[in-house]
This record gives sequence, structure tokens and C-alpha cells, in this order.
Amino acid sequence: MINFEEELKKFHPSLEVEDAVDAIYSQDLTDMADILVKKIMGTEEGNIQKGVKE
Amino acid sequence: MFCYQCGRRLSKHDFCTSCRADVGLYKKVMYVSEMYYNEGLEKACVRDLTGAIVSLRHSLKFNKNNIMARNLLGLVYFEMGETVTALREWVTSKNLSPEKNIADEYIDKVQSNSARLDSINQTIKKYNRALALCSQDSRDLAVIQLKKVLSLNPRYVSAHQLLALLYMEREEWERAERELRKCLEIDRGNVQTIRYLKEVEQMLAPDEGIKPSSRHRKDDSVRYQSENEVIIQPLNVREPKRGGISTLLNIGIGLVVGLAAMYFLVVPAAESRARNEEQQTILKISNESDVKTARIQELEGQIETLKGDIESLYGEIEGYVGVDGTLQTTEILLQVAAAYVETGDDQTAAAGLADIAGRVNIEEMTEGFRRLYQSVNGVVMPKLAQSYFQEGSRLFNASSYSEAVGPLEQAVAYDEANEEALYMLAQSYRILGENEKAIAAYDKVIALFPDSWRADNSKSYRDRLAGAN
Repeated sequence: MINFEEELKKFHPSLEVEDAVDAIYSQDLTDMADILVKKIMGTEEGNIQKGVKE
Repeated sequence: MFCYQCGRRLSKHDFCTSCRADVGLYKKVMYVSEMYYNEGLEKACVRDLTGAIVSLRHSLKFNKNNIMARNLLGLVYFEMGETVTALREWVTSKNLSPEKNIADEYIDKVQSNSARLDSINQTIKKYNRALALCSQDSRDLAVIQLKKVLSLNPRYVSAHQLLALLYMEREEWERAERELRKCLEIDRGNVQTIRYLKEVEQMLAPDEGIKPSSRHRKDDSVRYQSENEVIIQPLNVREPKRGGISTLLNIGIGLVVGLAAMYFLVVPAAESRARNEEQQTILKISNESDVKTARIQELEGQIETLKGDIESLYGEIEGYVGVDGTLQTTEILLQVAAAYVETGDDQTAAAGLADIAGRVNIEEMTEGFRRLYQSVNGVVMPKLAQSYFQEGSRLFNASSYSEAVGPLEQAVAYDEANEEALYMLAQSYRILGENEKAIAAYDKVIALFPDSWRADNSKSYRDRLAGAN
């Protein structure tokens, strides 16, 4: 049996035109590729630093 | 696909042939993004829009620069009535890839029609208001708002779902089912819609248990509950075939009913509309008539004023042209002047000038008229006065006082400064016994020439005459 109050909580206000700019700027665009590249770069820098110490 | 480090195009190897960076994992991430995009596209093609959104979001989580996935996500949102969310995706897509991006076209299409964009925004605002009304327990108002929203944007899935939920709350199962079916027409894979529909179908067919599809099976009847009543609807029951006469009869009855409906519903409405149009026309004509009447009255007033002006001008023209008018008088003056130049007759000229002076006020005449009159008068009058004085003086010296009075009176009339003529006139009056005239003449001599010997004599004669009276 569906609970009306609980179902109502699943509905959220739609974006209005006035809010569009904020929505665009506040959008988190970080993706898996960014994280991966950052990780690879960090590893490479660590290896270089280790090589210098040795 | 390009290297994340040097930007060169990647080959089939797991390293960049240009900078030798390890791109094996990076390529896998890109492939996963493409895979999710393909999945999203397939779902969108079969109208599983919710599923498409999930897949496309996953695709973008792996590669935010997957422009095709982002543009498709925008399209899916737009199809579901979430226009601003769609715009957000397209604008982001345009910023990430400004060149040759179809998102540019989508944005232009939405934004080029400002009225349409405003209507969309109003729709969204109404939906949000309806949602707020639901939370405030004003559900009837929320239903009204949502109906308005859906009349403006029938593809707004969230609005259909919310309206269906409200109908379900009010146990209006048929209406809820109708809304949910519309939702499914737009988005077939929406789990929330399917869940609601399952609930509604259970309520419509309570005896069928948990098999929602059983409602559609080929059974003898379908039972469902509407509010407090259980309705049993027979299935697969065909109307028995009847004869042609009954069919014709039914068609005839249908036509009669149709015509009656036309007569009672359509005709009065048409008449009412025609009456309204006529009233509007009459009102318009009446307004135009009022304006024209006002204009006519204004013009009549102008005509009256102009008539008054014309009469006034006629009066002025008459004053110039008439028997005693200015033009006539001017003509007389010209004739007098011409006659005087030709004949040199002082008396005729003097009589003419006196006639003119009697007709008009010389001071009110034109400058040319005044100058001519004064010129003629200045020549004629002294000569005439002198002539009368000589005649009067001769008669006075001849002791013909009664005859001398006339010329002397004329001499004084034409030349008041002639002291001798005035004195002789006074003496003539005294000798003739016309004492009052004599006293008046002596008074003039005394007043005009007070220092002369004639004034002294006049005083003594005047006193003597006054004493005698």
C-alpha cells in the first residue's frame, strides 16, 4: 500500500529559469577520468621524488 | 580519443605513442562512458526515459566531455518536461565544446521564442506551487494547479505522477490510472509510475490479487472498486445482432437526438454570438456617430462665427462703399480738389469741404484723405476768409452795418484769428442793437487778443452794454 506522505517526499521542485545560472555554476563536473588522471600524475610525481632521494 | 597528457590521438596500444604515458586505464574509463552512452541511447529509443537518464548520467560520471551523452541527456529531460534541467545540460555541453555542437541549436530553439520560454517557466512555477500546496494539505488546489500545468505542458511526467498520486489519495482510481498511462506513454521505464500503476490496478481489480495484468485477460467480467461501489464489467460480450429495421430506427433516433442537441445547444450559442457581434457593431457605430455629431456641432459653431464675421465685414464694406461711405466721401473730396484746381472757385470749394466735414469725421479717415483735405482747406479757407473780410470791411466803412454783418460772420467763421473782422462784427452788432451778440463778440476779442487796443475798447463797450441790460 502506497503511503502518500512518504511518496510526496520523493517529489522535488523543478528547476526554474531564474535558478538555471546557479544550477549550471554549482554543477559538479568532476568525472572518473579527472580522478584517474590526477591519481596517475600523483603517482608519477611520487616516483620522480623517490628517484631523486635515492 | 586523445591522450590526457599531450593531447595527441591515441592508438590501439595502452600507451601514448607520442609521450609514452600509460593510457590503458584511461582508455577503459572512456570505453565505459561510451558503453553507458550506447545503453542510454537504446533506452531512449524505446522510451525508457528514466533508464536513459540513469545510463547517460553514468556515462557523464566517467567522462564529463562526452558531449553526445550530455546533449542526449538534455533531450531526454526536455521530453519529460524538465526544460530548465535540459537547458542546464545543453549550456554545460556548449561550454565544454563550443565548436560544432548541436546543443547550440537546441538552446536557440528554446530561447528564440520568448513567449514559449515564459510559458514553460510559468508551468514549472505552477508545478512547484502545486508541490508546496500538497505539503500544506491544500490538495484540491494542488489538483487544480496540476491540471493547469498539464494543459500547458502535457509531457510533464512529474506533474502527471503527482496528479496521479493525489487522485490515488482521493481514491479516484480511474483518474489516477489515466494519468499514469499518460506517464507511461512518455516514459515507459519509470519505476515510480509502474509502482503506482500496480497499486491502482490492484485497487481497480481487488479480487484479482496481485496480478495486475489479469485485468486485461480474456475473462467473463472485470470487477473493480470505484469509491464505495464494486463495479462488474462483463468482457467479451457482444451485442446480439438485430435486424436492419432496428438499426435504421437507431440511426433515426440518433439523428433526431443530434438535431435536437444542435437546436438546443449549438443554435442558441450561435445566436448569442451573433447577437453579441451585432451589439458590438451597434456600439461601434454609436460611438462613431457620437464623434461625428460632436464634430458637426463644432463645425456648426464655426459656421455661426464665420457668418458673424462675414456680416461684420459686409458692414465694413458697406461703410466704405455706401452713399455716405468712405469711398463716396473720398470721391467727393477728389472732385472738390479737381474743381478747385480747374476753376479756382473758393466758395464752391469751401462748400464742398463743408459738405465733406458734415458727412464724415475727418480725424477717422485715412492719412491720404486727411492730408488732401487739409491741403485744400489750407489753401481755400484763408483766401475765402480774406474775401469775406474785404467785403464786410467795405460795407462797415460805408456804414451799411446790417449788410456788413453777413460777410464779417463768414470772415470770422473761416478765420477766427482775424481780430479786425471780429471787432468790426462786434461793433456792427452793437450799432444794430443786437446787444447779446455784441457782448459775445466783444468777449471773444477780449479772450483772443487781450493785449490789443481793440480788447481795451471791447471791454469798455461790453461793460456799457452789460450795464444797459
